[in-house]
Amino acid sequence: MGFLADRIRSAALVSALAVALPAAASADPMRIAFGDIATIETLGLLIALERAKEQGVKIEATFLKSEDIAAQAVVSGQADIGIGGPYALLQKVKAPIRIFLQLSELQMYPVVNTEFYQDWADLNGQEIAVHSRGSGTEAIMQMMADKHGIEYSGIAYVPGAEVRTGALLQGNVKATIVDSSGKRVLEAEAPDRFAFLPLAGVEATDEAMFANTDYLAENPEDVGKLVEAIVTTWREIAADPTVVTKLREQYNLLPDATPEMLADIEPYYAGMKDALPLNGGGEQAARSDFAFYTASGALEGKPEDLKVEDFWDLTILNSVLGRIGTQ
Amino acid sequence: MSVMSQDVKVVAPAATTRQALRLFAERRRSFWVVLSLLVLFTAWEIAGRVPISFAFPTFLDTLAALAEMVADGSMVRAFFLTLQPLVLGVAISALLGIALGIVMGLSDRMEWLLAPVFIVLQAAPMAALVPLVTFVYGIGLVAKTLAVIMLALPVIVLNSYKAVRHVNPSLVDMCRSFQGTRRQQIFKIIIPDAAPVLFAGLRLGVAAGFIGVMLAELLITPTGIGDLITYHRSVANYAHMYAAVASIIAASTVTLAVLQWFETNVMRPEKRRS
Repeated sequence: MGFLADRIRSAALVSALAVALPAAASADPMRIAFGDIATIETLGLLIALERAKEQGVKIEATFLKSEDIAAQAVVSGQADIGIGGPYALLQKVKAPIRIFLQLSELQMYPVVNTEFYQDWADLNGQEIAVHSRGSGTEAIMQMMADKHGIEYSGIAYVPGAEVRTGALLQGNVKATIVDSSGKRVLEAEAPDRFAFLPLAGVEATDEAMFANTDYLAENPEDVGKLVEAIVTTWREIAADPTVVTKLREQYNLLPDATPEMLADIEPYYAGMKDALPLNGGGEQAARSDFAFYTASGALEGKPEDLKVEDFWDLTILNSVLGRIGTQ
Repeated sequence: MSVMSQDVKVVAPAATTRQALRLFAERRRSFWVVLSLLVLFTAWEIAGRVPISFAFPTFLDTLAALAEMVADGSMVRAFFLTLQPLVLGVAISALLGIALGIVMGLSDRMEWLLAPVFIVLQAAPMAALVPLVTFVYGIGLVAKTLAVIMLALPVIVLNSYKAVRHVNPSLVDMCRSFQGTRRQQIFKIIIPDAAPVLFAGLRLGVAAGFIGVMLAELLITPTGIGDLITYHRSVANYAHMYAAVASIIAASTVTLAVLQWFETNVMRPEKRRS
C-alpha cells in the first residue's frame, strides 16, 4: 500500500512538473518534435539544426510517429516546436499555437498508366488512388478534376506514396499521385509506361514549424537563430543541391544511412530545389494555404475571410528577413 | 411556527423519495449501472470543460458529434465496413478454433503438436505483428480478416481445449459403463458438458476480434470506424474522433453483454441470479 501511495505521489509530482514546465522552459533546451522518422528528406533540416546549435541554441529533437502526435505534443507543452501542417488544428482547437516558418511546399505528381489513360480528360468516370481522406493529395486531385471539368467514379485510399508507386508498377493502380521519390522510381523502372499529368496553380505548405505563442514571445533570440539557420541553409541547398552530401559528412548526420539512401540524396534535393521556400513562406504562403486547405476541407470558411494572424506569427520571421534580406 | 410546519412538509416527501430510491436501488441492478455511467459521463463533461487539454472535447460535444454522424449516415457506413472483417474473422476463428480446441482436448498428440503454437500466439504482442501481414496479404479485406483471426483464434482454441479437458470425468465413466461408443462419448457427453466453457471462450474470442479489427483499421489502411478516427483526427474534429472511438467501445460492450446474457440464461441457467 505504501509503495502504491509513493507511486501515486511521484506521479502527481511529475504531472505537476509537466504543468509547470512550459512557464520555466526558457533555460531548458528547445524541444523540437518531428512528425516523422529521420530520413534523407529530413537531412536539410538536420543540417540547419546543427548550424543553429553552432550559434549557441540548445536543441533536443524527438522523432514521433505522425504529424498529429507532434502537434499534440506542442499543444500539451511536451514539445516547444512542432513540424507539420496544423491548419485544421489551429482553426478548430483554440490552442495558442502559431506557425512561424514554412519548411517546404507540397511536391506531388499526378501520374497515369499510359496503357489506359493519356491526360486529365481520360480520367473522367475512372477510379483514382490518393493518400487518405482529407489529405493534400486528395485535394490536389479534386482541384484538378474541378479545373478540367471531370469527375472520378471513385477514390481509393492507399496511404504512403511508396505504396502507391509500387501498386502502379504492379498494375494494381492505374491513376494516382506520387511524391518526388516515387516519380524518380517510376522514371527509372518504367519510363515509357507512365505519364505525369500537368499540375498548375497548386501551391501549399507541406511542412511548417509551429510553436506556442508564449514560447515564441519568451524565446525570440533562440527561435530567430533557428529560423536564420534554416532559411540560409535552404538558400544554400537551392543554389547547389550537392552541398547536402558534403554537409551530411561534415556534421556526421544519419550515420546509419545505407548506400541506396545516400545515392538518393542528390536527386531528391535537386528535385526539391524549387519547393524550398527561400523566404520562410510568410504571408504569401499563408494566403495560398488558405485557398488550398479550404478546398481540401481541412479549413472551413472562405479563404478571403481567414486572417493570417490567426494562423501565423510573422514577428520573428520578419525580423530575421530584415537582417539577412529576401531572395 | 409556520416555518416549522413548512419544514415538516418539505422533509416528509424527501424521506419517502429517499426510501423509494433505496428500495429501487436494492431491487434493480440497472440502477447501479446507470449511476456508474452517470458518474463517468459527468467526470468526462467536467474534464472537457476545464479543459484538461485543448484537444479534449466535452461529453455533450461528443454526443452531438455522434448524433451528427449517425444522422448523415457516415456512422452506419463505417460500421458496415468494419463489421465485414470482424464477422468474417470471428466466424472463421469460431469454427476453426472450436474444432481445433476439441481435437486438442481429445488427443494428447494433437495437444503436443498444436498447444505450443497457440500459447506463443496468445502471448505475442499482436500489434507488432499486424503490420507484417501487409507484406504477404496486402491491404485488402484478407489482411484485415487475418488480423482479426490472429487475435481471436488463439483465445478460442485454448479455451475450447481447456473446456474439453475439464469435462466431468464421472460423466465420461458413466458413458463407458453404459457401453457408449467413442463417438457417443464425444457428441453426447463431452461436447454438451463442455459447451458452457466453449461458449465463454467464444465470447472472449469476440472481444479479441474487436481489438483485432481496430488494430487492422488503424495500422493497415483506414476503413470504417478506423477511417472515421483517422480522418477526424487529421482535420482536428476531436469531438467526432472521440465519438467514433466511443461508438466502437459501445458496440463491443453491447455485443459482449448480449453474449454474456445468452451464456448465463441459456448455456448455464444454474449461474443465473435469482
